[in-house]
Amino acid sequence: MSEKKRPLLEELKKGPWPSFVKEMEKSAHNSKTAELLDLLERSYEDKTGHWKHGGIVGVTGYGGGVIGRYTDLPEEFPEVREFHTMRVNQPSGWYYTSDALRTLCDIWEKHGSGLTNMHGATGDAILLGTTTEHLQPCFNDLSEAGFDLGGSGSNMRTPSCCAGPARCQNACIDTLDLCHNLTNTFQDYLHRPSFPYKFKIKISGCANDCVASIARADLSIIGTWRDAIRIDQEAVKEYAAQGYDIQGLVVDKCPSQACTYNAETQEFTVDNPNCVRCMHCINKMPKALRIGKETGATILIGGKATIVQSAFLSWVIVPFMKLEKEDDYAELKDLIERIWEWWDENGKVRERVGELIYRKGMREFLKAVGLPPVPQMVKHPRANPYFFWWPDEIISSASGDAEAEAAAGAEVEK
Amino acid sequence: MAELTNEELRAKILEYLNKVDKAKNKDVATAIGALKRDVDKVINELAKEDILEFLYLGTSYVRIKGKE
Repeated sequence: MSEKKRPLLEELKKGPWPSFVKEMEKSAHNSKTAELLDLLERSYEDKTGHWKHGGIVGVTGYGGGVIGRYTDLPEEFPEVREFHTMRVNQPSGWYYTSDALRTLCDIWEKHGSGLTNMHGATGDAILLGTTTEHLQPCFNDLSEAGFDLGGSGSNMRTPSCCAGPARCQNACIDTLDLCHNLTNTFQDYLHRPSFPYKFKIKISGCANDCVASIARADLSIIGTWRDAIRIDQEAVKEYAAQGYDIQGLVVDKCPSQACTYNAETQEFTVDNPNCVRCMHCINKMPKALRIGKETGATILIGGKATIVQSAFLSWVIVPFMKLEKEDDYAELKDLIERIWEWWDENGKVRERVGELIYRKGMREFLKAVGLPPVPQMVKHPRANPYFFWWPDEIISSASGDAEAEAAAGAEVEK
Repeated sequence: MAELTNEELRAKILEYLNKVDKAKNKDVATAIGALKRDVDKVINELAKEDILEFLYLGTSYVRIKGKE
Protein backbone atom coordinates (compact mmCIF):
# COMPACT_ATOMS: atom_id res chain seq x y z
CA MET A 1 0.00 0.00 0.00
CA SER A 2 1.20 3.49 -0.81
CA GLU A 3 2.68 5.30 2.19
CA LYS A 4 1.43 8.67 0.98
CA LYS A 5 -0.85 10.60 3.29
CA ARG A 6 -4.26 11.44 1.92
CA PRO A 7 -5.67 14.09 4.29
CA LEU A 8 -8.51 15.14 2.01
CA LEU A 9 -9.71 11.57 1.54
CA GLU A 10 -9.49 11.10 5.31
CA GLU A 11 -12.21 13.74 5.58
CA LEU A 12 -14.47 11.57 3.46
CA LYS A 13 -14.19 8.76 6.00
CA LYS A 14 -15.62 10.86 8.82
CA GLY A 15 -19.28 10.74 9.69
CA PRO A 16 -21.84 7.98 10.15
CA TRP A 17 -22.29 7.17 6.47
CA PRO A 18 -20.46 4.39 4.60
CA SER A 19 -17.40 5.72 2.83
CA PHE A 20 -16.23 4.54 -0.56
CA VAL A 21 -12.72 5.53 0.54
CA LYS A 22 -12.82 2.97 3.37
CA GLU A 23 -13.97 0.32 0.94
CA MET A 24 -11.28 1.14 -1.57
CA GLU A 25 -8.59 1.12 1.12
CA LYS A 26 -9.45 -2.51 1.81
CA SER A 27 -8.16 -3.23 -1.69
CA ALA A 28 -5.21 -0.87 -1.51
CA HIS A 29 -2.71 -3.76 -1.24
CA ASN A 30 -3.22 -3.73 -5.00
CA SER A 31 -0.85 -1.09 -6.39
CA LYS A 32 -3.45 0.05 -8.93
CA THR A 33 -6.02 0.78 -6.23
CA ALA A 34 -3.43 2.54 -4.05
CA GLU A 35 -2.51 4.79 -6.94
CA LEU A 36 -6.15 5.36 -7.73
CA LEU A 37 -6.60 6.75 -4.21
CA ASP A 38 -3.49 8.91 -4.63
CA LEU A 39 -4.85 10.27 -7.88
CA LEU A 40 -8.17 11.05 -6.23
CA GLU A 41 -6.41 12.90 -3.44
CA ARG A 42 -4.56 14.86 -6.10
CA SER A 43 -7.87 15.74 -7.80
CA TYR A 44 -9.21 17.16 -4.55
CA GLU A 45 -5.99 19.15 -4.07
CA ASP A 46 -6.15 20.54 -7.60
CA LYS A 47 -9.95 20.91 -7.54
CA THR A 48 -10.17 19.25 -10.95
CA GLY A 49 -10.62 15.71 -12.21
CA HIS A 50 -7.60 14.02 -13.73
CA TRP A 51 -9.38 11.62 -16.05
CA LYS A 52 -9.77 11.84 -19.79
CA HIS A 53 -12.95 10.19 -20.94
CA GLY A 54 -13.72 8.48 -24.21
CA GLY A 55 -11.71 7.37 -27.20
CA ILE A 56 -11.53 3.95 -28.74
CA VAL A 57 -11.41 0.98 -26.48
CA GLY A 58 -13.47 -2.09 -26.90
CA VAL A 59 -13.55 -5.68 -27.92
CA THR A 60 -13.92 -7.09 -31.39
CA GLY A 61 -17.35 -6.53 -32.89
CA TYR A 62 -18.67 -4.53 -29.94
CA GLY A 63 -19.12 -0.77 -29.63
CA GLY A 64 -20.53 -0.76 -26.12
CA GLY A 65 -19.60 -2.25 -22.78
CA VAL A 66 -16.15 -0.74 -22.33
CA ILE A 67 -15.50 2.83 -21.24
CA GLY A 68 -12.02 4.17 -21.88
CA ARG A 69 -10.34 5.94 -18.98
CA TYR A 70 -6.91 7.52 -19.17
CA THR A 71 -5.33 9.82 -16.64
CA ASP A 72 -3.87 13.11 -17.80
CA LEU A 73 -0.97 12.55 -15.37
CA PRO A 74 0.41 9.25 -16.73
CA GLU A 75 4.01 9.94 -15.70
CA GLU A 76 3.06 10.61 -12.13
CA PHE A 77 0.52 7.79 -11.85
CA PRO A 78 1.74 5.04 -14.20
CA GLU A 79 -0.34 2.27 -12.59
CA VAL A 80 -3.55 4.01 -13.60
CA ARG A 81 -2.30 5.33 -16.92
CA GLU A 82 -5.04 3.19 -18.46
CA PHE A 83 -7.90 2.38 -16.12
CA HIS A 84 -10.76 1.24 -18.33
CA THR A 85 -14.18 0.24 -17.06
CA MET A 86 -16.02 -2.84 -18.29
CA ARG A 87 -19.77 -3.17 -17.92
CA VAL A 88 -21.12 -6.66 -17.53
CA ASN A 89 -24.76 -7.39 -18.36
CA GLN A 90 -26.43 -8.30 -15.07
CA PRO A 91 -28.92 -11.15 -14.74
CA SER A 92 -32.58 -10.08 -14.58
CA GLY A 93 -33.40 -8.86 -11.08
CA TRP A 94 -29.72 -9.21 -10.05
CA TYR A 95 -30.06 -12.81 -9.01
CA TYR A 96 -26.58 -14.33 -8.94
CA THR A 97 -25.40 -17.61 -7.55
CA SER A 98 -22.37 -17.47 -5.26
CA ASP A 99 -20.45 -19.42 -7.89
CA ALA A 100 -21.25 -16.85 -10.55
CA LEU A 101 -20.05 -14.00 -8.32
CA ARG A 102 -16.83 -15.87 -7.49
CA THR A 103 -16.21 -16.53 -11.17
CA LEU A 104 -16.78 -12.86 -12.00
CA CYS A 105 -14.40 -11.73 -9.26
CA ASP A 106 -11.74 -14.28 -10.25
CA ILE A 107 -11.82 -13.05 -13.84
CA TRP A 108 -11.54 -9.48 -12.69
CA GLU A 109 -8.64 -10.19 -10.32
CA LYS A 110 -6.87 -11.84 -13.25
CA HIS A 111 -7.45 -9.04 -15.74
CA GLY A 112 -8.21 -5.88 -13.77
CA SER A 113 -7.78 -4.06 -10.49
CA GLY A 114 -10.28 -6.24 -8.64
CA LEU A 115 -12.44 -3.20 -7.86
CA THR A 116 -16.11 -3.50 -8.69
CA ASN A 117 -19.26 -1.45 -8.39
CA MET A 118 -22.24 -3.71 -7.77
CA HIS A 119 -24.22 -2.21 -9.44
CA GLY A 120 -24.06 0.89 -11.62
CA ALA A 121 -27.02 3.18 -12.23
CA THR A 122 -27.97 1.32 -15.39
CA GLY A 123 -27.77 -1.95 -13.50
CA ASP A 124 -24.67 -3.58 -14.93
CA ALA A 125 -21.95 -5.10 -12.81
CA ILE A 126 -19.21 -2.52 -13.20
CA LEU A 127 -15.62 -3.71 -13.28
CA LEU A 128 -13.25 -0.81 -12.65
CA GLY A 129 -9.72 -0.57 -13.92
CA THR A 130 -7.97 -2.54 -16.60
CA THR A 131 -5.57 -1.91 -19.45
CA THR A 132 -6.21 -1.99 -23.18
CA GLU A 133 -4.24 -5.21 -23.65
CA HIS A 134 -6.41 -7.03 -21.09
CA LEU A 135 -9.75 -6.06 -22.64
CA GLN A 136 -10.10 -8.80 -25.21
CA PRO A 137 -8.74 -11.61 -22.98
CA CYS A 138 -11.07 -10.46 -20.19
CA PHE A 139 -14.04 -10.41 -22.56
CA ASN A 140 -13.11 -13.89 -23.78
CA ASP A 141 -13.00 -15.21 -20.22
CA LEU A 142 -16.31 -13.53 -19.39
CA SER A 143 -17.92 -15.02 -22.49
CA GLU A 144 -16.55 -18.43 -21.63
CA ALA A 145 -18.17 -18.14 -18.20
CA GLY A 146 -21.52 -17.13 -19.72
CA PHE A 147 -21.39 -13.38 -19.18
CA ASP A 148 -21.95 -10.72 -21.82
CA LEU A 149 -21.05 -7.05 -21.83
CA GLY A 150 -23.72 -4.43 -21.20
CA GLY A 151 -24.35 -1.17 -22.98
CA SER A 152 -22.40 2.06 -23.09
CA GLY A 153 -22.36 4.86 -25.63
CA SER A 154 -25.25 5.88 -27.89
CA ASN A 155 -27.12 2.62 -27.84
CA MET A 156 -29.75 0.71 -25.96
CA ARG A 157 -28.41 0.39 -22.44
CA THR A 158 -28.66 -2.84 -20.52
CA PRO A 159 -32.35 -3.29 -19.68
CA SER A 160 -32.96 -3.77 -15.97
CA CYS A 161 -35.90 -4.85 -13.83
CA CYS A 162 -37.00 -5.26 -10.24
CA ALA A 163 -36.98 -8.54 -8.32
CA GLY A 164 -40.40 -9.21 -9.78
CA PRO A 165 -42.57 -12.28 -9.18
CA ALA A 166 -39.60 -14.22 -7.81
CA ARG A 167 -40.08 -12.59 -4.42
CA CYS A 168 -42.73 -9.87 -4.59
CA GLN A 169 -46.47 -10.42 -4.24
CA ASN A 170 -47.18 -7.12 -5.99
CA ALA A 171 -45.57 -8.03 -9.32
CA CYS A 172 -48.21 -7.55 -12.01
CA ILE A 173 -45.93 -8.79 -14.79
CA ASP A 174 -43.05 -11.22 -15.10
CA THR A 175 -40.38 -8.54 -15.08
CA LEU A 176 -37.57 -11.09 -15.13
CA ASP A 177 -38.76 -12.86 -18.25
CA LEU A 178 -39.53 -9.60 -20.04
CA CYS A 179 -36.14 -8.08 -19.24
CA HIS A 180 -34.31 -11.20 -20.42
CA ASN A 181 -36.43 -11.39 -23.55
CA LEU A 182 -35.88 -7.72 -24.51
CA THR A 183 -32.14 -8.01 -23.86
CA ASN A 184 -31.84 -10.99 -26.16
CA THR A 185 -34.11 -9.56 -28.85
CA PHE A 186 -32.34 -6.23 -29.07
CA GLN A 187 -28.75 -7.43 -28.60
CA ASP A 188 -27.52 -5.66 -31.70
CA TYR A 189 -28.84 -2.34 -30.38
CA LEU A 190 -27.06 -3.05 -27.08
CA HIS A 191 -23.67 -3.88 -28.49
CA ARG A 192 -23.35 -1.57 -31.48
CA PRO A 193 -24.20 2.10 -30.88
CA SER A 194 -26.29 3.55 -33.69
CA PHE A 195 -28.74 5.85 -31.89
CA PRO A 196 -28.63 9.64 -31.42
CA TYR A 197 -27.85 8.99 -27.76
CA LYS A 198 -28.46 6.50 -24.97
CA PHE A 199 -31.78 4.68 -24.53
CA LYS A 200 -32.64 3.05 -21.23
CA ILE A 201 -35.38 0.51 -20.59
CA LYS A 202 -36.36 -0.26 -17.02
CA ILE A 203 -39.11 -2.57 -15.88
CA SER A 204 -40.94 -2.41 -12.57
CA GLY A 205 -43.48 -5.02 -11.58
CA CYS A 206 -45.82 -2.50 -9.96
CA ALA A 207 -46.29 1.20 -9.31
CA ASN A 208 -43.95 1.06 -6.31
CA ASP A 209 -41.36 1.25 -9.09
CA CYS A 210 -38.45 -0.28 -7.19
CA VAL A 211 -36.03 0.30 -10.08
CA ALA A 212 -37.14 3.96 -10.31
CA SER A 213 -37.94 3.52 -13.98
CA ILE A 214 -40.15 6.59 -14.14
CA ALA A 215 -37.24 8.85 -13.25
CA ARG A 216 -34.35 7.10 -14.94
CA ALA A 217 -35.59 5.28 -18.02
CA ASP A 218 -36.31 6.53 -21.50
CA LEU A 219 -38.84 3.72 -21.71
CA SER A 220 -40.50 2.77 -18.43
CA ILE A 221 -42.58 -0.38 -18.21
CA ILE A 222 -44.56 -0.45 -14.99
CA GLY A 223 -46.82 -3.33 -14.01
CA THR A 224 -50.45 -2.52 -13.22
CA TRP A 225 -53.97 -3.99 -13.35
CA ARG A 226 -57.21 -2.89 -14.93
CA ASP A 227 -59.90 -4.63 -12.94
CA ALA A 228 -60.59 -4.15 -9.22
CA ILE A 229 -58.35 -4.19 -6.15
CA ARG A 230 -59.06 -7.40 -4.25
CA ILE A 231 -60.24 -6.76 -0.71
CA ASP A 232 -60.26 -9.22 2.18
CA GLN A 233 -62.81 -7.62 4.54
CA GLU A 234 -61.92 -9.98 7.40
CA ALA A 235 -58.32 -8.82 7.21
CA VAL A 236 -59.57 -5.20 7.21
CA LYS A 237 -61.35 -5.93 10.47
CA GLU A 238 -58.14 -7.35 11.91
CA TYR A 239 -56.29 -4.13 11.07
CA ALA A 240 -59.09 -2.20 12.79
CA ALA A 241 -58.97 -4.49 15.83
CA GLN A 242 -55.26 -3.78 16.20
CA GLY A 243 -56.02 -0.06 16.35
CA TYR A 244 -54.66 0.73 12.89
CA ASP A 245 -55.77 4.19 11.71
CA ILE A 246 -57.36 3.11 8.40
CA GLN A 247 -59.08 6.45 7.84
CA GLY A 248 -56.00 8.59 8.55
CA LEU A 249 -53.25 6.46 7.05
CA VAL A 250 -55.02 4.95 4.08
CA VAL A 251 -58.26 6.68 3.08
CA ASP A 252 -57.18 10.27 3.68
CA LYS A 253 -53.92 9.68 1.82
CA CYS A 254 -55.51 8.24 -1.33
CA PRO A 255 -54.49 10.67 -4.10
CA SER A 256 -57.75 10.31 -6.04
CA GLN A 257 -60.07 9.92 -3.02
CA ALA A 258 -61.10 6.53 -4.35
CA CYS A 259 -60.95 4.75 -0.99
CA THR A 260 -63.65 4.82 1.68
CA TYR A 261 -63.86 3.21 5.09
CA ASN A 262 -66.96 2.74 7.19
CA ALA A 263 -65.79 2.71 10.81
CA GLU A 264 -69.08 1.29 12.04
CA THR A 265 -69.22 -1.72 9.75
CA GLN A 266 -65.43 -1.79 9.39
CA GLU A 267 -65.87 -2.17 5.67
CA PHE A 268 -63.29 -0.89 3.20
CA THR A 269 -64.27 -0.04 -0.39
CA VAL A 270 -62.49 1.21 -3.47
CA ASP A 271 -64.08 3.22 -6.28
CA ASN A 272 -62.06 1.37 -8.92
CA PRO A 273 -62.84 3.57 -11.93
CA ASN A 274 -61.35 6.49 -10.01
CA CYS A 275 -58.40 4.55 -8.61
CA VAL A 276 -55.07 5.59 -10.17
CA ARG A 277 -53.33 2.33 -9.20
CA CYS A 278 -50.71 4.13 -7.10
CA MET A 279 -50.39 1.18 -4.68
CA HIS A 280 -50.61 3.38 -1.56
CA CYS A 281 -53.53 1.51 0.04
CA ILE A 282 -52.06 -1.88 -0.86
CA ASN A 283 -48.72 -0.90 0.66
CA LYS A 284 -50.39 0.26 3.86
CA MET A 285 -52.65 -2.79 4.28
CA PRO A 286 -50.92 -5.63 2.41
CA LYS A 287 -52.77 -8.34 4.33
CA ALA A 288 -56.16 -6.94 3.32
CA LEU A 289 -55.63 -5.52 -0.16
CA ARG A 290 -54.14 -7.06 -3.26
CA ILE A 291 -53.58 -6.09 -6.85
CA GLY A 292 -56.31 -6.99 -9.36
CA LYS A 293 -56.33 -10.16 -11.40
CA GLU A 294 -56.24 -8.69 -14.89
CA THR A 295 -52.65 -7.51 -15.03
CA GLY A 296 -50.44 -5.87 -17.62
CA ALA A 297 -48.26 -2.78 -17.78
CA THR A 298 -48.34 0.95 -18.29
CA ILE A 299 -45.79 2.13 -20.85
CA LEU A 300 -44.16 5.52 -20.32
CA ILE A 301 -41.54 7.46 -22.21
CA GLY A 302 -38.95 10.16 -21.74
CA GLY A 303 -37.51 9.95 -18.22
CA LYS A 304 -33.95 11.20 -17.79
CA ALA A 305 -31.61 13.14 -15.55
CA THR A 306 -30.62 16.70 -16.32
CA ILE A 307 -28.21 16.88 -19.24
CA VAL A 308 -29.39 19.11 -22.07
CA GLN A 309 -32.96 19.84 -20.98
CA SER A 310 -33.98 19.67 -17.34
CA ALA A 311 -34.73 16.38 -15.58
CA PHE A 312 -37.87 14.68 -16.89
CA LEU A 313 -40.11 12.08 -15.35
CA SER A 314 -41.47 9.78 -17.99
CA TRP A 315 -44.96 10.30 -19.43
CA VAL A 316 -47.69 7.75 -20.03
CA ILE A 317 -48.08 6.73 -23.66
CA VAL A 318 -49.96 3.45 -23.21
CA PRO A 319 -52.07 3.27 -20.03
CA PHE A 320 -52.48 -0.48 -20.24
CA MET A 321 -50.76 -3.09 -22.38
CA LYS A 322 -51.45 -6.76 -21.74
CA LEU A 323 -47.86 -7.93 -22.39
CA GLU A 324 -48.45 -11.42 -23.68
CA LYS A 325 -45.64 -13.92 -23.14
CA GLU A 326 -47.31 -16.24 -25.61
CA ASP A 327 -46.79 -13.90 -28.54
CA ASP A 328 -43.27 -13.00 -27.40
CA TYR A 329 -44.27 -9.48 -26.28
CA ALA A 330 -44.83 -8.59 -29.94
CA GLU A 331 -46.97 -5.49 -29.27
CA LEU A 332 -44.35 -3.94 -26.99
CA LYS A 333 -41.41 -4.76 -29.25
CA ASP A 334 -43.23 -3.34 -32.24
CA LEU A 335 -43.86 -0.11 -30.33
CA ILE A 336 -40.22 0.14 -29.25
CA GLU A 337 -39.03 -0.22 -32.83
CA ARG A 338 -41.44 2.47 -34.02
CA ILE A 339 -40.18 4.82 -31.29
CA TRP A 340 -36.57 4.19 -32.26
CA GLU A 341 -37.32 4.77 -35.90
CA TRP A 342 -38.87 8.19 -35.21
CA TRP A 343 -36.12 9.18 -32.78
CA ASP A 344 -33.40 8.04 -35.22
CA GLU A 345 -35.03 10.02 -37.99
CA ASN A 346 -35.55 13.23 -36.03
CA GLY A 347 -33.15 13.25 -33.09
CA LYS A 348 -30.11 15.48 -32.96
CA VAL A 349 -26.78 14.15 -31.73
CA ARG A 350 -26.96 13.66 -27.93
CA GLU A 351 -30.70 14.29 -27.84
CA ARG A 352 -32.63 11.84 -25.65
CA VAL A 353 -36.04 10.71 -26.87
CA GLY A 354 -37.78 12.71 -24.11
CA GLU A 355 -36.02 15.86 -25.24
CA LEU A 356 -37.05 15.22 -28.82
CA ILE A 357 -40.68 14.84 -27.76
CA TYR A 358 -40.35 18.06 -25.76
CA ARG A 359 -38.94 19.83 -28.84
CA LYS A 360 -41.33 18.44 -31.44
CA GLY A 361 -44.42 18.02 -29.28
CA MET A 362 -46.31 14.99 -28.02
CA ARG A 363 -48.77 15.33 -30.88
CA GLU A 364 -46.03 14.75 -33.49
CA PHE A 365 -44.67 11.83 -31.51
CA LEU A 366 -48.02 10.09 -31.11
CA LYS A 367 -48.86 10.49 -34.77
CA ALA A 368 -45.47 9.13 -35.84
CA VAL A 369 -45.63 6.03 -33.66
CA GLY A 370 -49.33 5.46 -34.26
CA LEU A 371 -50.66 5.82 -30.74
CA PRO A 372 -53.99 7.46 -29.92
CA PRO A 373 -54.16 10.36 -27.47
CA VAL A 374 -55.72 9.29 -24.18
CA PRO A 375 -56.73 11.14 -21.00
CA GLN A 376 -53.82 9.65 -19.05
CA MET A 377 -51.39 11.73 -21.13
CA VAL A 378 -50.99 14.73 -18.89
CA LYS A 379 -48.06 16.93 -18.11
CA HIS A 380 -49.23 17.65 -14.59
CA PRO A 381 -51.64 15.13 -13.04
CA ARG A 382 -55.31 16.18 -13.10
CA ALA A 383 -54.52 19.61 -14.44
CA ASN A 384 -52.81 20.00 -17.70
CA PRO A 385 -53.42 17.95 -20.83
CA TYR A 386 -50.60 18.36 -23.28
CA PHE A 387 -52.14 16.90 -26.34
CA PHE A 388 -53.76 19.30 -28.76
CA TRP A 389 -55.94 18.21 -31.62
CA TRP A 390 -54.71 18.58 -35.16
CA PRO A 391 -56.55 21.48 -36.83
CA ASP A 392 -58.20 19.16 -39.35
CA GLU A 393 -59.63 17.07 -36.51
CA ILE A 394 -61.59 19.98 -35.05
CA ILE A 395 -65.17 20.31 -36.23
CA SER A 396 -66.23 23.89 -35.77
CA SER A 397 -69.84 24.68 -35.00
CA ALA A 398 -71.83 26.83 -37.44
CA SER A 399 -71.11 29.91 -35.37
CA GLY A 400 -67.47 28.90 -35.11
CA ASP A 401 -65.78 27.62 -32.00
CA ALA A 402 -63.24 30.38 -31.63
CA GLU A 403 -61.73 28.99 -28.49
CA ALA A 404 -61.02 25.58 -30.03
CA GLU A 405 -59.59 27.09 -33.18
CA ALA A 406 -57.38 29.41 -31.16
CA ALA A 407 -56.09 26.47 -29.11
CA ALA A 408 -55.32 24.45 -32.22
CA GLY A 409 -53.75 27.46 -33.87
CA ALA A 410 -51.52 28.12 -30.90
CA GLU A 411 -50.20 24.57 -31.03
CA VAL A 412 -49.57 24.79 -34.75
CA GLU A 413 -47.56 27.97 -34.34
CA LYS A 414 -45.59 26.44 -31.52
CA MET B 1 -33.23 5.29 -55.50
CA ALA B 2 -33.15 1.64 -56.51
CA GLU B 3 -32.78 -0.81 -53.65
CA LEU B 4 -29.15 -1.72 -53.10
CA THR B 5 -27.92 -5.24 -52.55
CA ASN B 6 -26.04 -5.99 -49.37
CA GLU B 7 -22.73 -6.00 -51.25
CA GLU B 8 -23.47 -2.66 -52.88
CA LEU B 9 -24.42 -1.19 -49.54
CA ARG B 10 -21.22 -2.45 -47.94
CA ALA B 11 -19.17 -0.94 -50.72
CA LYS B 12 -20.94 2.42 -50.47
CA ILE B 13 -20.62 2.56 -46.69
CA LEU B 14 -16.91 1.75 -46.81
CA GLU B 15 -16.35 4.22 -49.62
CA TYR B 16 -18.03 6.97 -47.57
CA LEU B 17 -16.24 6.11 -44.34
CA ASN B 18 -12.92 6.13 -46.18
CA LYS B 19 -13.59 9.75 -47.10
CA VAL B 20 -14.35 10.96 -43.56
CA ASP B 21 -12.69 10.62 -40.16
CA LYS B 22 -15.79 9.36 -38.40
CA ALA B 23 -19.57 9.46 -38.79
CA LYS B 24 -22.85 8.62 -37.09
CA ASN B 25 -24.86 5.84 -38.73
CA LYS B 26 -27.52 8.40 -39.58
CA ASP B 27 -24.97 10.57 -41.42
CA VAL B 28 -23.81 7.55 -43.40
CA ALA B 29 -27.39 6.72 -44.37
CA THR B 30 -28.07 10.30 -45.45
CA ALA B 31 -24.83 10.55 -47.41
CA ILE B 32 -25.36 7.37 -49.42
CA GLY B 33 -29.12 7.76 -49.73
CA ALA B 34 -30.05 4.52 -48.00
CA LEU B 35 -32.45 3.66 -45.19
CA LYS B 36 -30.85 3.94 -41.79
CA ARG B 37 -32.10 0.55 -40.65
CA ASP B 38 -30.37 -1.07 -43.64
CA VAL B 39 -27.19 0.89 -42.95
CA ASP B 40 -27.33 -0.15 -39.27
CA LYS B 41 -27.45 -3.82 -40.24
CA VAL B 42 -24.47 -3.58 -42.57
CA ILE B 43 -22.45 -1.50 -40.10
CA ASN B 44 -23.13 -4.14 -37.45
CA GLU B 45 -21.85 -6.84 -39.82
CA LEU B 46 -18.73 -4.81 -40.63
CA ALA B 47 -18.09 -4.26 -36.91
CA LYS B 48 -18.43 -7.97 -36.20
CA GLU B 49 -15.93 -8.60 -38.99
CA ASP B 50 -13.55 -6.14 -37.29
CA ILE B 51 -13.52 -3.84 -40.32
CA LEU B 52 -15.21 -0.95 -38.49
CA GLU B 53 -14.79 0.27 -34.94
CA PHE B 54 -16.80 2.52 -32.66
CA LEU B 55 -15.49 5.73 -31.19
CA TYR B 56 -17.00 7.55 -28.24
CA LEU B 57 -16.61 11.33 -28.13
CA GLY B 58 -19.62 12.47 -26.15
CA THR B 59 -21.70 10.32 -28.46
CA SER B 60 -20.81 7.25 -30.50
CA TYR B 61 -19.38 7.34 -33.99
CA VAL B 62 -18.21 4.68 -36.37
CA ARG B 63 -15.05 4.66 -38.45
CA ILE B 64 -12.78 2.37 -40.44
CA LYS B 65 -10.69 0.44 -37.95
CA GLY B 66 -7.38 2.12 -37.26
CA LYS B 67 -8.12 5.15 -39.41
CA GLU B 68 -6.79 8.33 -37.78
